[in-house]
Amino acid sequence: MSDTILSLDGVSKSFSGKPAVRDVSFSVERGQITGFLGPNGAGKTTTLRMSLGILSPDAGRIKLFGKKPGSAAMDKVGFLPEERGIYKKMKTEEVIVFFARLKGVDAIEAKKRALAMLEEFGLGHTIGMKVKELSKGMAQKVQIISTLVHEPEFIILDEPFSGLDPVNQKTLEQMVRAQADAGRTVLFSTHVMEHAERLCNKIVLVTEGRKVFDGDVTTALSEVPRRVIIEAHSEHDLASLLSNMGIVTEGELSSEGNRSWKIDLASNSDAQDVLKACVDATVRLARFEPVKAHLHDAFVHLVETHSHKTGETA
Amino acid sequence: MRAIYLIARREFLSYVATWGFWLSLASLPLFMGLGFGLPLLIENSQPTRYFVMVDQTGGELEQAYLSGLAQNREDQSEQIREAVTDLVGDSPQIQAALENQPGITDDGRYVRVYPEDTELEQLRPYLLGDQLLDTAEGPQPLFSAVYLNKSTSGEIEIDYWSVNLTDSGLRLDIKNALQDYMRLDRLRAEGVPVELIETINALSPTVRELNPERSDETAEITAVDRIPFFVSVGFALALWMVVFSVANMLLTAMIEEKGNKILEMMLASSRHHEILMGKLLGVAMVSATLLLAWGSLAIGSGVLVQQVAAAADMPIAEILSAVLDPGLLLPAAGYFLVGYLTYGAIFLAIGSLCETIHDAQTLMTPIMLIMMVPLFIITTAFDSPDSAVVEIASWVPVWTPFIMLARLPLDPSMTELIGTTSVMVVTALLVLFGSGSVFRLGALNHANQDTVKAWFKIGGNKKKPE
Repeated sequence: MSDTILSLDGVSKSFSGKPAVRDVSFSVERGQITGFLGPNGAGKTTTLRMSLGILSPDAGRIKLFGKKPGSAAMDKVGFLPEERGIYKKMKTEEVIVFFARLKGVDAIEAKKRALAMLEEFGLGHTIGMKVKELSKGMAQKVQIISTLVHEPEFIILDEPFSGLDPVNQKTLEQMVRAQADAGRTVLFSTHVMEHAERLCNKIVLVTEGRKVFDGDVTTALSEVPRRVIIEAHSEHDLASLLSNMGIVTEGELSSEGNRSWKIDLASNSDAQDVLKACVDATVRLARFEPVKAHLHDAFVHLVETHSHKTGETA
Repeated sequence: MRAIYLIARREFLSYVATWGFWLSLASLPLFMGLGFGLPLLIENSQPTRYFVMVDQTGGELEQAYLSGLAQNREDQSEQIREAVTDLVGDSPQIQAALENQPGITDDGRYVRVYPEDTELEQLRPYLLGDQLLDTAEGPQPLFSAVYLNKSTSGEIEIDYWSVNLTDSGLRLDIKNALQDYMRLDRLRAEGVPVELIETINALSPTVRELNPERSDETAEITAVDRIPFFVSVGFALALWMVVFSVANMLLTAMIEEKGNKILEMMLASSRHHEILMGKLLGVAMVSATLLLAWGSLAIGSGVLVQQVAAAADMPIAEILSAVLDPGLLLPAAGYFLVGYLTYGAIFLAIGSLCETIHDAQTLMTPIMLIMMVPLFIITTAFDSPDSAVVEIASWVPVWTPFIMLARLPLDPSMTELIGTTSVMVVTALLVLFGSGSVFRLGALNHANQDTVKAWFKIGGNKKKPE
């Protein structure tokens, strides 16, 4: 059995001459949670639609389960689109059974699974109710169940957290993790980095239709310059004292008379070097804070770096 | 196939659960009931008109009016008998039933009253409604006062006083009766014997319609021979009605589905052509249900009429035979399928481009206009089936299903049949293919009604060179 569930190779797509996806390549490996990140309009949804065969690429090759995306692979995929909606006049279990049967589950088994999953997701009380009678959050849960009811090998979620309140976001995170623990492969797109940071084994970052990063979260974080923030009451010229350790930026003067400094560390320095230099110079430190980088910082950094590069190229 | 079946099934069940479906189901019998019943209801609900007639000649004109009126009513009754005979055949029972309806034209709407004082100035307050007549229905206004007179030169003069400007029935009755009297009077004055005048009035040729394809005894054309024409036009109109109503259902359902953002979820579970075909098939099942229900209702009503009025002796067997004739039924099914698929696909594609019914209206208007044309042509085809306009219109693929269906009993040439059918089928396939592409773009929000408008503006907005 191949370990690569989805692979894109040099894929491009334009609409009315306007490029939406440009030469994107990446792969999704079996059993992993892959985050597909990018700002709004980066081409995430178009890429996911092409991965499913809903749209055809203008250039490049896509393989889903080793073959061109087609009907045969669809039954093994569960897709939750960004634009979410379900039949409002149908009952909750009927909607789930309908989508399960579209994916090849027989009627009796589909009904059994629908009822069980509604209970499992805390929606047992909605059995027999029409979707239009549910709250937005509950309706989204019904749709998520419809995506998972046929027990797909590969789950694609397009901006799954948008529109959910914090409690339901946490529930969805748990659900994604549970699916991965059950051996399923998950690819989800988002522009909210916190979810990706907590969930993903791997992230693919796109901006303006181009891929700017493809790797694990640790590698992505390593792309962000490490930073130390200090506050000191001192006559020392900290800018020249710490200049060989990175870029030093002088900050505000606090009400206690302390001045803050921000040091973006050079690759050959670390926070300990800064601390040692300050102690050796008898600087009276009021604050010393090595800043832990987050995926959000990596995201912003990578996008800005890409923008600079394309700006220079242009 | 699985996806097509499941989508079709869901569509069918969802439509059947709507009020729209049941309204459509009830629409045909309702309209038929209204068509027959409303004029009767209106006629029967007319208020009684009270009038005064004053014959200033001493009774000659009044007598002439009364006998003329009786003759006019007899003529009208005869016309109705002929019309009924044309429609359902020459049945003695029907004639007897009509003879037993004395009020067939005498609706009793105009009732003459005889006040003591017939001077206009005395009657004026009654005509204006300031005073009311004492009638069997209670106090009522006077509808009109009619003064009949003869000038010294012998001309008949009618002074008709009334505040009602629209109800001309009584005035025309009087005018027609006295007009006939004047003509008869003149002929008598010229010395023409009364018997001769009556003989001349009764003259009428005997017309036998004969079919040259048949031999002596069977050559005469009867009402039964006309049944297939009525049935085929009925089929064409029913097809138009079904396509019109279900196409609208398709459009509104698609807009609703797009508004509910279901299409992308569907596209992740099935291919766009499966969704399109599933929806078309589901609604076709709705149409078939409608047709079956209407057909059963029509047949049931026919049988009931025959049972209830054994006197009517209607040619039900011949009507059923014409309706169930495979030579008409099979082509009708084919035309229905192609016509429905063509219009259904167009409406689905339009629906996929629109977010609201308001959006759809712009795109719908030209399609609706195109759809209305065959309705007029079918009625023309009934009287003039060999008209050049009808023949040319048969070749317009979006009209072919309706017009050719109506023309089938006229045995159009094989070239025309095969040619129009081929053009229609090829067009339907092209429409299905094009609609599928538009549907995919629309469903994914890559096209909307503005895109369609832009297609038709290609080359139209080019800037003039400076």
